[in-house]
Amino acid sequence: MTWKDFSLKRYRKYILPLIILVLVTYGAAMVCGISYGELGRGLVSGVVFLGHMFPPDWSAFNEMLEPAFQSIIIAFLGTFFGALLSLIMALLAAANISNPWVRNITRFLIGVERSLPEIVILLLLVAAFGLGSMPGIIALAISCIGMLGKLLADSIEEIDHIMIESMQSVGAKKIQVIFFGVLPQILPNLISYTLFRFELNIRLSVILGAVGAGGVGYELDYAFNMLEYHRAFTAMLIILVMVFSTEQLSYFLRKWIKVDAALK
Amino acid sequence: MLEVKQLIKSLPNGRKVLNGISFKVEKGEFVGILGPSGAGKTLTLRCLNGLLKPDSGSVVVQGTDGKRVDICQISKRELRRARQKIGVIFQGNHLVKRLSALENVMIGRLGQISTFRSILYGFTDAEAAEAVAALEKVKMEHMADVRTGNMSGGEMQRVAIARAIFQSPTLLLADEPISSLDPSNARVIMKLIKPLSENIPVVGVFHQPDMTAKYCTRVIAIKDGKVIYDGDPHLSENLLAEIYGEELQQIEANKNIPALIPSEPTLVHTS
Repeated sequence: MTWKDFSLKRYRKYILPLIILVLVTYGAAMVCGISYGELGRGLVSGVVFLGHMFPPDWSAFNEMLEPAFQSIIIAFLGTFFGALLSLIMALLAAANISNPWVRNITRFLIGVERSLPEIVILLLLVAAFGLGSMPGIIALAISCIGMLGKLLADSIEEIDHIMIESMQSVGAKKIQVIFFGVLPQILPNLISYTLFRFELNIRLSVILGAVGAGGVGYELDYAFNMLEYHRAFTAMLIILVMVFSTEQLSYFLRKWIKVDAALK
Repeated sequence: MLEVKQLIKSLPNGRKVLNGISFKVEKGEFVGILGPSGAGKTLTLRCLNGLLKPDSGSVVVQGTDGKRVDICQISKRELRRARQKIGVIFQGNHLVKRLSALENVMIGRLGQISTFRSILYGFTDAEAAEAVAALEKVKMEHMADVRTGNMSGGEMQRVAIARAIFQSPTLLLADEPISSLDPSNARVIMKLIKPLSENIPVVGVFHQPDMTAKYCTRVIAIKDGKVIYDGDPHLSENLLAEIYGEELQQIEANKNIPALIPSEPTLVHTS
């Protein structure tokens, strides 16, 4: 290698892609009507607005605790039933224990779910069940399938085929193979993925709450609509604490399980 | 007893991998199947417990109720029943790694207990005692509650044998049970398998002619999907050359390794 290899000429191949990127970004900004002046003004008024929200209305704190608890319950039940649903889907979608037809159909369904935003599912369910935590729980449960179903199906497919065959060679039924062979093998993954999904679902339950599932998300939305900004700020702080503490809890639990899994 | 007749199996591309395999094994026999790679040894063994369905031919074994059944002809449900009495030892990686040795031994009876019990891992005290006794036979009772994923290859294979003992089969199959082990562990495993053949027929696929000569009562050699030798386990140099062809040199090279191990290993506790 000589010094010539470090000349600026080596950047030449990046020039055209860079120009295209800038043009596309600029074009997109034009289409959406974004201007730098507006961005600057928006930032300023945003900071001013935050100033108006301060200080939080601590008198609303006690009223917010129950909705916050409700949001956590929605997330918890949604994750629990979602994990159960995903496990069943994953067993059907794993090539080494399912038949090819069932596998392809289930994989397709999992793919369809993954491409559906949670809000779309919730709006459909609200139309069917009306407002409340129940459509929220069902929406969260269904929304788990896309991610958990695929990850679990992949971990089941990682199981050595000879292990499954060897259990079938003592005359075990498929359900016995699942309970004695598949489940113990994927248990660490099942728990750690589910905890990860629980973190996401806490955040989602706040968003879904604003759209009609109730809980602290609804309180936040309501306070904004009533122009009670100090109250909204309290809700935001509660959400922040809620999300942060569940993430920490889940992080430590997952770390602990990983250590356990590594010991196999 | 086990009677195999005219097994024929072709691959989708038309190549005949099994081309009329026939043999008979009685109890008291420890039969070693030898042959070069790709000769059809493992495929033959897989036909014996129905993991592979041959295009034609029959595999007659003693069923659960003492009646003789043809593995190749029976329904899925009957096959499950027949398999309850066919023990299989694979290459050693077939145990459930996150379950303990004892739980893995209990898998041997999975086909014999109700689905409900198996979901709850509900084995009776008597069964648990029997499973521990099976582990004692292979000198592994001190590791009964250790996950098999934490064990060495030789220890895992001993658990696999305990599983087969606990299953109390009427026929035992072994698919290259010592291929992933070092020579001294391999001899320990062969020593454990051999006494099982006193009461039931044992058929194993091996890659080591010196091991089969030492422990088997009979050797069947398979080449190009056909039985080319069936008889005394002590094979002459010429015969070995005929069976293995170019692969022979490699096998001779492997055979020299055991000579480096000073004395005959005895079965001892490992920890």
